[in-house]
Amino acid sequence: MSDWYSMNVVLIQTTLTTLLLALSIQVPIRFGVFSFAGVGAFGIGGYTAAIAMVHLGWTTWPSVALGAVISGIVVFALGLLVQRLTGLYMGMATIAFTLIISVLAVNGGELTGGAGGLYGALGEIDTGHILAILAVVVAVLVWTETKGMGRRIDTVREDPELANSVGIDVVKYRLASFALSGVIGGLAGGITTLLRSTITPAEVNFHLVIVALTAIIVGGARSWLGAFIGAVIFVWLPTMISFVQEWEKVVYGFIVAVAAIYLPNGVLGVVKDLIHRFRTRQERARLAVLQEKG
Amino acid sequence: MQDLLNVASLGSIYLLFALGMALVWGTIGILNFAHGATFMFSAFVGHLVTSETELPFLAVVLVAVLVGAAIAALTQLLAFQPILKRSKNQHAAEMRILIGGIGVAAIPLAIAQHQTRSSPFGFRSSYEAEVLEIFGLRLSTTSAVVIVAGLAIGIGLTVWVRRSRRGLALRAIGVDAETAAGMGVNRTLLAFGTMATAGALAGLAGALLTFQLGAIAPETGDQLLIKAFAIIVLGGLGSMAGTVIGAYVLAGAETLVLNLNYGTWVDAVSFGLIFLILLARPQGLLGRKEVRRT
Amino acid sequence: MADTAVRTTTALLAVEDVAVHFGGVKAVDGISLEMHQGNIYGVLGPNGSGKSTLLGAMTRLTPLTRGRFLLDGVDYTKVPARKVHRMGISRTFQTVRLLDDRSVRDNILLGQDTLPKQTRKAAAMQVDEVMERVGVREVAQLRPDELSYGMQRRVEFARAIIGRPRLLLLDEPTAGMNTAERKEIGKLMRQLCDEGITQFIVEHDVEMMVDTCDYLFAMNVGKLIAEGDPHDVVRHPAVQEAYLGKGAASGA
Repeated sequence: MSDWYSMNVVLIQTTLTTLLLALSIQVPIRFGVFSFAGVGAFGIGGYTAAIAMVHLGWTTWPSVALGAVISGIVVFALGLLVQRLTGLYMGMATIAFTLIISVLAVNGGELTGGAGGLYGALGEIDTGHILAILAVVVAVLVWTETKGMGRRIDTVREDPELANSVGIDVVKYRLASFALSGVIGGLAGGITTLLRSTITPAEVNFHLVIVALTAIIVGGARSWLGAFIGAVIFVWLPTMISFVQEWEKVVYGFIVAVAAIYLPNGVLGVVKDLIHRFRTRQERARLAVLQEKG
Repeated sequence: MQDLLNVASLGSIYLLFALGMALVWGTIGILNFAHGATFMFSAFVGHLVTSETELPFLAVVLVAVLVGAAIAALTQLLAFQPILKRSKNQHAAEMRILIGGIGVAAIPLAIAQHQTRSSPFGFRSSYEAEVLEIFGLRLSTTSAVVIVAGLAIGIGLTVWVRRSRRGLALRAIGVDAETAAGMGVNRTLLAFGTMATAGALAGLAGALLTFQLGAIAPETGDQLLIKAFAIIVLGGLGSMAGTVIGAYVLAGAETLVLNLNYGTWVDAVSFGLIFLILLARPQGLLGRKEVRRT
Repeated sequence: MADTAVRTTTALLAVEDVAVHFGGVKAVDGISLEMHQGNIYGVLGPNGSGKSTLLGAMTRLTPLTRGRFLLDGVDYTKVPARKVHRMGISRTFQTVRLLDDRSVRDNILLGQDTLPKQTRKAAAMQVDEVMERVGVREVAQLRPDELSYGMQRRVEFARAIIGRPRLLLLDEPTAGMNTAERKEIGKLMRQLCDEGITQFIVEHDVEMMVDTCDYLFAMNVGKLIAEGDPHDVVRHPAVQEAYLGKGAASGA
């Protein structure tokens, strides 16, 4: 076990940071907000943490925390600006926001290291640390997915007008999703950067959006567990099948397209449907009788 | 004056690219994220063909136009149409089409990147660009073709959508799908034709830009995609005339930023425009007022 | 109905000269009416007469062009839509609007999620009780898209009543149900009314409206054309002409 762990420590850590990034995109989508600002938050969090370490001489965790807080605030402010936009317009505005972050990083001079990026921000992070942070994030997300909170968030996403009519403050929920997405994306960026010791503007690009989307769409957009399944598939599939390794991006493009067409709720959605059908087989039998009578 | 000529040339490329996107989005309501990849891959096939045999200018353009139309038609047939058939409502369909488009786009991009190792590619053609001197202004023959093609197709399409029966049918779909169905418009067929036309335009833009610059990179399509979005938002969705104006405005703004020696900020112009327009005048310069906000 | 007795008290809901215009279309054009505690009210009118728009305006989802709404004498015309539910007004929709990925039980619970704790304890019914009363207890764990349309309507109904609203607005509550089911729902409405839930129903089915309602309003092209005892309203010449067509008026 420990042999396996030490051989695969990089992959394990990549899985966890990919999961964080995917969650930062999944959260707003689950709230019915088509925002890609989580990837921008990844950039803000990564750069902030690196700047804090390199220029200010801070230690690892205060730097990561600063990155998460600042990206949370910035993305929340973005949410205030764009929250009235619908579907596609929201999507494109937030992609524009993400790409602006990267332009800012290119033009940041000494502070951001320009086009070459920032180097030498090696934090002291091990897998246990990442797991602890993930545990907190997942605990918060579980709270937003279950019981009354889960119901209300589903309503905000599926039918904002219905949400209003049963007394849910849709705007408040949407704004909260921006803040949450910003903090999670910032954490992902800070941790990833300090693990690798470097961040460049080229990393905060559209490819990152695709990585996050792939994980969510394949695994399932409705639950953190879906993002986890997606992150595992995304990170480990290339290591297992060499064909996938060679044509990685083609395979992912294909998987995303197929999932968008046939599995809108991802692998987790399929599993949940099966469980639901199994659990409710008696009720459905009763229903058939009931409807025959009526 | 020379600057104005450069703006006209750059704007015409933007226009050729954006017209296809605007046509599809403004009428059948599909934001095709694979439009950039279609553009790039058409030129890439031109590159592959010309590396086998040298071809004249028009033959290369024709190859690219046909490839573009084929890719877009396939995208519609294999991805967007099944998604539309499986979606409960417009809102859900929009998101799945965007995600599906992102997946589709990743495939040709990855293939081209794999084959070229992400380096720029061009055509081997018997065509040699000459530089014309008119009133002391320098203009290459390629740029002249680009400007003429851009303006002619831009104006032609604007008039066509406004005047012809087909155009009317298309606009009817853009306004209200149900009314259009009532008018006896075959939505599926029309959507297919519109997508193929848009793809042909993308192919044309791909070939012309490659001739003009000598070479393009696999990633060029993605950059243009965001710019085209800015152009459509600026001009107003559903307005072809708006798209024409938007293309030249963006080209002008970018040239201005470049001339002021802020070269690294050029990309921020389109991202910033998207933001400003969506917030200040969401229906764009010439767009109809509609459901762009909740 | 005790018409003279209730007139002396403040109306539960007063609608004062309300108008809703969409561009040039006057969907609702100057409606005034009053509803008193403990009655079932109904609105008759042909398609496009503005019934559903009026209902939407009462919940503040549809913005008003002019006029005001008073609940217990308190003007709530400026209150945002999301707070109307908490004031004790809940509604169903013309088309069924349920969460497809959630169980019947979850969908019903949604109706009391945002009520303050005290209200929930004091007023709200237990979810099992509600499911029993509307007849969906047997299918509590199923998802709406596994149910027939009539069953979905019942779930929608249950979501609206679980918080025990003071005023229940029902937009075609029995559409898609058979006669037996309609009777059943009509009986439930009467029970709820006896428990103090005032109701306002928009329906097409004249027979059901006459059987169920204590008091009827009739609308046509955004205006109120008659009101009063259900039997009188349906016989009113203006109503016959607008709602049943001219031929029906002469035949009656």
